[in-house]
Amino acid sequence: MKRILIAFTVFTSVSLVQAQVDRGNVLIKGGTVLTVTKGTLENTDVLVRDGKISQIGKGIAAPSGFRVIDAAGMFVMPGIIDAHSHAGIDAINEATAPVTAEVFTGDAVNPFQVGLYRALAGGVTSIHAMHGSANAIGGECETLKLRYGVKDPEAMKMEGAPRTIKFALGENPTRVHGSGNGIVPRTRMGVEFVIREAFSQGKAYMEAWDAYNKAKVQKGFRGTPPAYNKRLETMADILRGNIIIHCHSYRADEIYMLLNVCKDFGIKRLVFQHVNEGFKVAPELAAYGAGASVFSDWWAYKFEVYYSTAYNAAILTRNGVTTSINSDDGELMRHLYHEAGKTQKYGQLTDDEALALITINPAKQLGIDGRVGSIEVGKEADITIFKNHPLSVYTIPMITIVDGVVRFDREKDADDQRIYVDPKQTIDVTLHTSSGHDHESCMQGAVYETAKLFGFNLLEK
Amino acid sequence: MAPVTRTYAITNVNIIQGPGRKVDMGTVIIRNGIIQNVGKNLTIPADAVVIKADSMYVYAGFIDGYSRVGVIKPKEEPNRERPKDPGNPEPAQAGITPQNDVRTSLNPAEKSVEDLRALGFTTAQVVPYGGMLPGSAAIIQLGGASSNDMVLSGNSSFYSELTPAQRVYPNTVIGVMSKYRELYRQAAQAKSYENMYASNRAGLERPVSDKILEAFYPVIDKRVPVLFKAERNLDINRITLLQKDLGFNVVLGDVKEGWDMVNKIKAANAKVFLSLDLPEAVKEEKRDEKKEESKKPVDAEKEALEKRKAEAIAQYTAQASVFQKTGITFGFSTASAKTKDIPANLRRMIAAGLTEDQALAALTTTPAQLLGIADRVGTVDNGKIANLVITDKSYFNEKSKVRYVFVDGVMYKYEVKEEKKTDAKNGNGKKADPNGKWSYTTETPQGNSTGVIKIKNDGGTYSGTITNSMSGQETELSSIVVEGNSMTFTFGFNAGGSTMNIDVSLTIDGNDFEGTMSVGNFGSFPMKGSKDPNQ
Amino acid sequence: MRTTIIKLSALLLIITVLTHTIHAQSPKGKSGTFALTGATIETITKGVIQNGTVVISEGKITAVGTNVTIPQGATVIDCNGKFIYPGMIDGGSILGLSEVGSDPRTNDYNEVGDVVPQMKALAAVNPNAVAIPVTRVSGVTTTLVVPQGGLFSGTASLINLHGYTPDQMYAGFDAVVMNFPATGRRGFFDRRSDEEIKKANEKSLAKINEVWEKAVQYHKLDSANKGKVEYYPQLAALLPVVRGERTLLVDVNASKDIQAAIKWVQEKKVKKVIFSGVSEGWRVADEIAKAKIPVIAGPVQSLPTREYDRYDRPYANPGLMRKAGVTVALQAGDRNMNYRNLPYHAGFAAAYGMGREEALKAVTIVPAQIFGVADRLGSIETGKSATLFVCDGDPFETKTQIQHVFIEGWQMPMVSRQTELYDEFLQRSPGVKK
Repeated sequence: MKRILIAFTVFTSVSLVQAQVDRGNVLIKGGTVLTVTKGTLENTDVLVRDGKISQIGKGIAAPSGFRVIDAAGMFVMPGIIDAHSHAGIDAINEATAPVTAEVFTGDAVNPFQVGLYRALAGGVTSIHAMHGSANAIGGECETLKLRYGVKDPEAMKMEGAPRTIKFALGENPTRVHGSGNGIVPRTRMGVEFVIREAFSQGKAYMEAWDAYNKAKVQKGFRGTPPAYNKRLETMADILRGNIIIHCHSYRADEIYMLLNVCKDFGIKRLVFQHVNEGFKVAPELAAYGAGASVFSDWWAYKFEVYYSTAYNAAILTRNGVTTSINSDDGELMRHLYHEAGKTQKYGQLTDDEALALITINPAKQLGIDGRVGSIEVGKEADITIFKNHPLSVYTIPMITIVDGVVRFDREKDADDQRIYVDPKQTIDVTLHTSSGHDHESCMQGAVYETAKLFGFNLLEK
Repeated sequence: MAPVTRTYAITNVNIIQGPGRKVDMGTVIIRNGIIQNVGKNLTIPADAVVIKADSMYVYAGFIDGYSRVGVIKPKEEPNRERPKDPGNPEPAQAGITPQNDVRTSLNPAEKSVEDLRALGFTTAQVVPYGGMLPGSAAIIQLGGASSNDMVLSGNSSFYSELTPAQRVYPNTVIGVMSKYRELYRQAAQAKSYENMYASNRAGLERPVSDKILEAFYPVIDKRVPVLFKAERNLDINRITLLQKDLGFNVVLGDVKEGWDMVNKIKAANAKVFLSLDLPEAVKEEKRDEKKEESKKPVDAEKEALEKRKAEAIAQYTAQASVFQKTGITFGFSTASAKTKDIPANLRRMIAAGLTEDQALAALTTTPAQLLGIADRVGTVDNGKIANLVITDKSYFNEKSKVRYVFVDGVMYKYEVKEEKKTDAKNGNGKKADPNGKWSYTTETPQGNSTGVIKIKNDGGTYSGTITNSMSGQETELSSIVVEGNSMTFTFGFNAGGSTMNIDVSLTIDGNDFEGTMSVGNFGSFPMKGSKDPNQ
Repeated sequence: MRTTIIKLSALLLIITVLTHTIHAQSPKGKSGTFALTGATIETITKGVIQNGTVVISEGKITAVGTNVTIPQGATVIDCNGKFIYPGMIDGGSILGLSEVGSDPRTNDYNEVGDVVPQMKALAAVNPNAVAIPVTRVSGVTTTLVVPQGGLFSGTASLINLHGYTPDQMYAGFDAVVMNFPATGRRGFFDRRSDEEIKKANEKSLAKINEVWEKAVQYHKLDSANKGKVEYYPQLAALLPVVRGERTLLVDVNASKDIQAAIKWVQEKKVKKVIFSGVSEGWRVADEIAKAKIPVIAGPVQSLPTREYDRYDRPYANPGLMRKAGVTVALQAGDRNMNYRNLPYHAGFAAAYGMGREEALKAVTIVPAQIFGVADRLGSIETGKSATLFVCDGDPFETKTQIQHVFIEGWQMPMVSRQTELYDEFLQRSPGVKK
C-alpha cells in the first residue's frame, strides 16, 4: 500500500512538475534535407508526429489533420543550437563572489523576450542560457527550447537536458573580483587556485556526507548531518560527473591550466567557451576530449583576444576537437548559419562540417545529441526551412519548427511579436541601440564603476 | 481630546452587513469598540451619540491584505564604504532579517494611516521594510493612540520578497532564490536537530541558536504562511518554484499580472491579495473624421500600437474578474496603489466584470477569512469589532464620498471639501529665498542619499556648493537659475575618471523644497529638503 | 681544387640565402606592372567582361578588356576561372584609431569635448594597426575613418589600407563629423524619463545651432579680412563646410531625428551633406530621397531599433531606402575590428530586398561618388586607381577565397597575423608530445 501511495505521489508531483509542452504534427514535403549526420537527401519528405521525426523518405502521404509545408526548392536542416547565450533569463551575473555555484539561471527564465522570437527567425531552436563570466565559478545554466509564445516559463525549459555550469578564466573574473574588490583572484594564478580550492572543498563536503550517510544507518547512531551548503553540493555534483563544465576562456595557457586541474580531480565532462586561442592547444584539447564553442571571427575587443584568428574553428576541427560556433550575443544569434559559413572562408570546411558546428556539435556539448541536432528518425522535430542553402549569404530562414510546432513563419507572422505590452509605454520614444553591439554581454551586471555613484544595481531586467 | 462617550447609534442608514446582505434604513449601535446591535427599529441607548446617517450606506471597514501603512520608514544610512567582501556580507546588509518584527516599527500617526483610513480601510496586514527577508508581518487597526493599540494580531505571516541586496550577495534574483532555499533547508536541519536534542541529548553537541534560522520554524511547521510580494507574472512563477521545492504555505501579495498564472497559483494552493494599483487608463481621443481618410502608414502603425496598449490595460483591469471566474479566493492589497486612485480603480475593475458584491467580499469577508480574523471583523454583525465605513452614496458610486469611519469604535469624521486647485508650481506667487543652507534627501531605487546644499546670493548672482553623503565630495554648482520659487542648477560628479553632469530642479515652498535630481542616463529621482534654521 | 671548393661553397651559400629569402616571405607590397588575364571582370559601371584582362601600371589601371596588349616585362597573373572586382569601400569605421577595444590607451577616436571638429582622424591613424592587413586581405581596400563622440567629433578622412604614413594612405576626401542630437534612448542602461530625454535633446540642438551661427559669422569675418582672423580652431574647421567646400557627415538614426536633421541642414543651407547610420531610414525613406541626401547605412547585421519592429528591418533597411530613390552606401559598423565583413553585410542587404547589383554598387561606386573620388575608385575602368581584388567566386559568399589584392597598383601580401597563426597552428609541431 505504501509503495502504491509513494508511486502515486511521485506521479502526481511529476505531472505537476512537467509543464505543458505543445507537440505538433507536420509533413514537410519535397525539400533538400540536410541531415548533417547522414548526408544530404534531395527532394525528400520529413514526417513529424507528436513532436518527433517519425519518417524520412520520398512520397510520404499526409495523415489527416497534419499541416503540410511545401518545401520544394528549399533546404530543410536541423534547428540551430546556440551553445552560449544570455537570452531568455532575467539575471546573468551574481558577481559578488568568485564562486557562486549554487545559483541557477533556470530560476529566472523569461520567455517573453522578443529576442527569443528574433532568434527563431534566424533558425535557432535551442539555446544554452548561461550565467555570465564575472566569476571563476559561476552558476548552473539552463538549456531552453525556443517555444516562443508560451506563457509558462517552465515550458521553455528543455526538460531532462543535462545539468551544465559556467566557469570563467582570465580577464573577466580577475577584473571583477581582484581589481574591483581586492579579493582573490586578481591574476590567472589566483583563478587556478580558486578553482582548485572550490573542488577540494566540494570533495571534502562530498566525503563528509558520504560518511554521514553510511553512519546514519548504523544501529544506535545519533548525530547530525553536515550543514547543508548548496554551493559545495553543486561542486560535489561536478566531481560526481553529473554536471558538464562550460568554461569561458581565451588564452592558450589558461585553457591548458584547466585541463590540468580537471585531470587532477577526474573531471571528464568539459567544454571550453569562446576559447579564442584554442587553436594553440588544439592537440591537447583533442587528447583530453574537451569540446570547444567559439566565435566565428570576433577579436580585438580585449587584450586576451588580440592574438586570435578567424581560422580557429577550422584548426580545432581539423585537429579532432568537437567544435561549435556560438553567439553570446542577441544579434549574432540571428545569423549563426552565416557565422558557420565563415569557416568555409577561413579554413575551407566542407558543408557538412560547417553545418555540424551549429547543430550536432553544440548538441553534443550540451549532452542533448540523442534528442536533437540532426534530422534522424526518432529525434525531436526541431527543424528550420531555408530559402537557398543555409551556408549561402543569400539564404533566408522561412519557417522554424520546435517540437513539431511552427514557431516562426516569415510569411504569416505579424510584425509586432511582443507577448506582453507595457501598459505604461509612451508610443513614440524609441529604444535605440548605438552602432556596434556590446560583445561583452557576458559581463552584464558586473560593471560597477558608475554604479557605485548611487549604489545602483545595474542589470536585473 | 478623548471622546465623551464610546457609544454611538447610526440611524436611518442602509446597512450592507456583508456581500448580498442588506438592511434598508436600519440602525447600528456600537459600544466600547464592539458592534452591539444591528437591525431595524432598534431602541437607541440614552448615552449614545446619534449620527443621523439618512440614506447613507454603512459597510464593514475594509481590510488591506498587504501594505506598509503605518510602518515607519527607516532612515537610510548611506553606506559609503565599499563592501570589503561582497560575497560574505552581514545578514542585515544582505536583506536577511527574518527575525525582525513589524510591530517594533508601527506609528499610528503616520500620514499613510490617515490617508488609507479616509478611504474606509480600518484594518491592514503590514510588513516591515527590508530586503529579501524583512521579517514578520502583523495585522493592525488603522487607528489607536499608540503602536501597541494598533496591533490586532502579531506574527501573521513570514514576509518575503525576491529583492536582491545592493552591492553584496545575493545581488540577483537567482542569488536570492538560491539563498532562500539554502536558509530554509538549513533551518529544517537545525530544527530537526533541536528536536532530537530536546528529546534525548545524551552524547550530542548542543545546538547553536541562530535567530535567523529560528524565524523559519513556524513556517516549516506550517503554522504561519509565507507572504511573498508577487507583482509580476514572472515573480509568481519563481515563487511557485520555491514553494514546490520547499513546501511552505504561500500567500501572494500585490499581484498585478496574475491572469496567465492562475493554474500555477491553484497548483500551489496559494492565497492571493490582488493589487489595487492599475495602469493609467488611455484617454479617449476624439476621432478626427478627416484624418481617417488620409491615413499614412505611420499612423496605422501608431494605431496598432495604441490598440495593443489598450488591450494590455484591459487585461490588468479584468484581472480581478478572471480570478473570480477561476475560483481563486482573493483579497486586495494597497501596497503600490496611489490612495487617491483606489476608489476609481475599484470602479474600473467592476466595469470590467467584477460585481459590486464580489468587490465588497474582496475588501471585507475574504481578507478576514484569509487572515484568520473572520470571527472578529469583516461584516457588520453583533459582537464584531466596530470597524465601519459610512459613505453618502453606495461606495462604488462615482460621486460617493466617505463621511465617517469607525476604527475600534473610535469615530473619524470627514467634511466634504471643495477641491481647490492650487498650482503648486507657482506657490501662491511668493518668491522663494534660496539663500542659505539646505539639507536634502534623494530617493534612488537602491536607497536614500543625503547631503547639504549651500546657496549664496551675491547681489542677484547665485553661487553654491553641494555635498553628498555617499561620495563625501563638496562640489561647485553651476548654471544656477532662480525664477519665482523654482531653482535649477547643475554640478559635475567625478565617477571613476569621467565626469557626469547632474541636473537638479527644485520648487521652493517657504523653508522646504521638493524636486528632482537627474543623473545622466540613469534617470531622475525625487528630492526633498529643508532649510537649516540656524543659517 | 681550392677554387672549385670556393665556387661550390659560394654556390651553396647563394642557394641557402636564396632559399631563405623564399621561405622568409616578408609581407611587403610589390609595385610594378601587372596583367591579370582570363578573368570575369565586374566593372560595376560598364557591365561584366568575360575572359578579360586588366593591366596595371604605375598605380593605375591602364587597360581593361578582352583585346588587351600585355606590356613587356609585366608580371602576368593567370586569373582563369576567377573574378575581378574593384576594392570595396567601407563607409565609416575606426580602423587605425583603435587596437584593443576595451583598452582606452589604444583608443584614439573620441576626444574630450562636445565641439571639437578640429580633431583630425588622419593625425592619429596608425598605419601599422594589426587590423589593417586583416581587413585588406578580405578585399576591403578603403575606408572612411570617423572620429566619435560629442556633438562635433572631428574631421573624418578616407584612407586606402596601404601605406606607411597616414599621408601615403590618404585617399582624397575629408568630412566634418556631426552627431545629430538624438531623441531615442541610448541603449539598455539609459533610464532617463521621456521629459529628460527631451530636455537633453533641446539643449544639444541649441548648442549645434549656436556653433553653426558662430561658424557663419566666422566665415563672414574671414572673407572680409581676407583670411586674417583670430585663432579659433573649432570654427576654422567648420569654415570649409559653411563654404560648401567640405562635406558635413551627419550621424543620425531615429526617424524623428532624421526628419529634424533634414530640416536642419536645409535651414542652414549646408551644401554638402551625407547622413550616416540611418538605422530607421526606412521609416522616412521618401523624405530622405526628396531631400536628395545620400546615406551610409549600416551595420546591416544589427537588431531592430524598436521592440515592436519587424525582425528583419535592419536587413531590409538599405533596400527599402534604395527603392524610395535614396543614394545608399554601406558601412560594416563593427567595433570588433571586423570591417572585413563588409561584403557579408552587403550580402544580407542584397538578400533582404536590395538585390545583388545595388548592394555591390553600395560598396564600390556609390561610396566613391558620394566621397567625391569616383574618378579614382569604385569601378574597373581605364585611368582609375588600380585598387581591386581577384577572387574565385561571388565576394558576398563566405565560400569565396580571395587570391590577390591590389591597392593603388601595389600588390598586397596576402598575409595577416591571422593567416600566420593559421599556418603555424594548423598542424602544430611539436604536437601533444614534444
